[in-house]
Amino acid sequence: MPRAGRTAAPPGRVPSEGRHSSVVFSDDRQWAEHLAVFVRAGLGKGERILYFADTTAPGRVLRALTDAGIDAEGAVARGQLSVSAAAQTYLAGSGFDPDEMIGLWFDATREASASGYRGLRAVGEMSWGARGITGADRLLEYELRIHEEVFAHLPLTAWCFYDRRLMCDEYVSVLADAHLTHRGEPHPGPALRVSPLVDRPGLLMSGSAGYDTRDAVAAAAAALSGAAAPQMELDLAALRHIDAASLALLADAAAGRRDGPPLKVRQAPSPVRRLLQLFPELDSVVEVVDR
Amino acid sequence: MTTYGPIPAGPGRQAAFYHPALFYGTEEEYLDGVGSFVRDAVSQEHSVLVAVPGPSLPLLREAVEGSEHVRWVDMHQAGRNPGRILSMLQEFADQAGEHTQVSIVGEPIWVGRTPAEAWEATRHEALINLAFDGRPVSILCPYDTALPEEVLAQAYRTHPVVGDPGAYRASSRYTDPHEVCRDCDMPLPEPQDAVVVPFGERGLALARDRADRWAAAAGLSPASRTDWLLAIGEATSNSVRHGGGRGTLRMWRADGELVAEIRDEGLLADPLTGRRRPDPRATTGGRGVWIMHQVCDLVEIRAAAQGLVLRLHMRLE
Repeated sequence: MPRAGRTAAPPGRVPSEGRHSSVVFSDDRQWAEHLAVFVRAGLGKGERILYFADTTAPGRVLRALTDAGIDAEGAVARGQLSVSAAAQTYLAGSGFDPDEMIGLWFDATREASASGYRGLRAVGEMSWGARGITGADRLLEYELRIHEEVFAHLPLTAWCFYDRRLMCDEYVSVLADAHLTHRGEPHPGPALRVSPLVDRPGLLMSGSAGYDTRDAVAAAAAALSGAAAPQMELDLAALRHIDAASLALLADAAAGRRDGPPLKVRQAPSPVRRLLQLFPELDSVVEVVDR
Repeated sequence: MTTYGPIPAGPGRQAAFYHPALFYGTEEEYLDGVGSFVRDAVSQEHSVLVAVPGPSLPLLREAVEGSEHVRWVDMHQAGRNPGRILSMLQEFADQAGEHTQVSIVGEPIWVGRTPAEAWEATRHEALINLAFDGRPVSILCPYDTALPEEVLAQAYRTHPVVGDPGAYRASSRYTDPHEVCRDCDMPLPEPQDAVVVPFGERGLALARDRADRWAAAAGLSPASRTDWLLAIGEATSNSVRHGGGRGTLRMWRADGELVAEIRDEGLLADPLTGRRRPDPRATTGGRGVWIMHQVCDLVEIRAAAQGLVLRLHMRLE
């Protein structure tokens, strides 16, 4: 995939439900099955298919498809299927940058359309997120943002492959929850779940937020402050607990939004209300609706 | 230690830190001693805060002309947990500004305080001397002579100046605040049946959920449970951040209240930690301890060389 700067999002939204999925697996057989299902569907719909490998050799991807009865070589030859290494494509520069990556999706989708395909579908092996790659700590922020910033605007279907042999269960759970559709093995719910809202820009946080979940809260805060949408909402209906540090991080994110109105907090649970009583200065940047 | 000669209670007080204990035996003595202090402060246009037990408020209001210039606070509520009083006093003094003389009446101990509360209130009295050292603030602390001997004896150690409505004098028993704080670290009684939850960083969420479920089963109201969980969440995360990466949470039911104890290998280097309103965004500065003091009915602190013990009390109402 070529590298390019951010392209402005076209106006309008397309239904994005079901097009950004987490796929959790823990053996090669499961991997091959998910791969075959995904590629077969793409070929049938006349879409361009990109596979971004992390630890899997590109040749192995093609062999697995061939073994599943798919004419992978033919698809590669006519330019419909491409298998490349993330390290040579979107991770080739100075590391992972969510903003740059979002721009790349716009470019790649446009190129697929220009080449006559009905859409773009991509598989990404996400195991690099557990290594010390520059920017890897922004992976959750990225996963949280793209539902609204990419899938709501582009005819793109993407499956994010999470191999439990290469990433710890806790991290897989947090990342998988940032997708609205899940495939593969069930994953245990993390202490704090953060997901995009289905029908409007914003995030849903549920569970228990504390010092132990600070990375997930920081990612949520980064997703809120970096989002392009003029109004962001935070649905906290199922949040059982939040500590002062987490609320302060979210309030800082709200304060950092360019010219935006305050962050709308829906269904603020009692600990949020109590902390806003104790720290009224945070109240100016978060607007608790249905108070 | 500063020494004082005979000091008048009212007019002529210097624009320096002044922290007398007033011992009173009757309502008349109370109104005389406290009333004259407040009247003088009002007449000299000081910023005045009176924080005394609720039943004394109407008496004093009536005795003070210009009472609308005074901020009146029911200490039964605001000072239920003695550990939160100093934050209120410092906030009041800060709001008055650097160049305004501040006069405060603070009565943190009343007849009926439990011994545990009285020890934490004594610690608070000692810490006043550290917090306001060198500032133009006068804090008069009335002590009912019906209080236990031990409580009254401590007042002589925590106040540089002592007296009765007639005359004030330097306290010969005034003691370094750090030493008083150490003396307030009375041995804590062992609970009969405690639920024990060891935790590390990975177990923090589980510890919070256990604390929430246990308190619900023990009958704590939803509003108090929110506070209970906020306090325990801050204390356990402090153990992980500053107390050796782990700790032990114990919970038990006592006389009309629930108690959570958080024990770790931490140190509390500054006894004033958590006794000043923090910036909610600052990761240092005692935010967690301040929250505990605000939301709990009592916080007992034992800072020893081998570690830190916090006991958070929440009344069952």
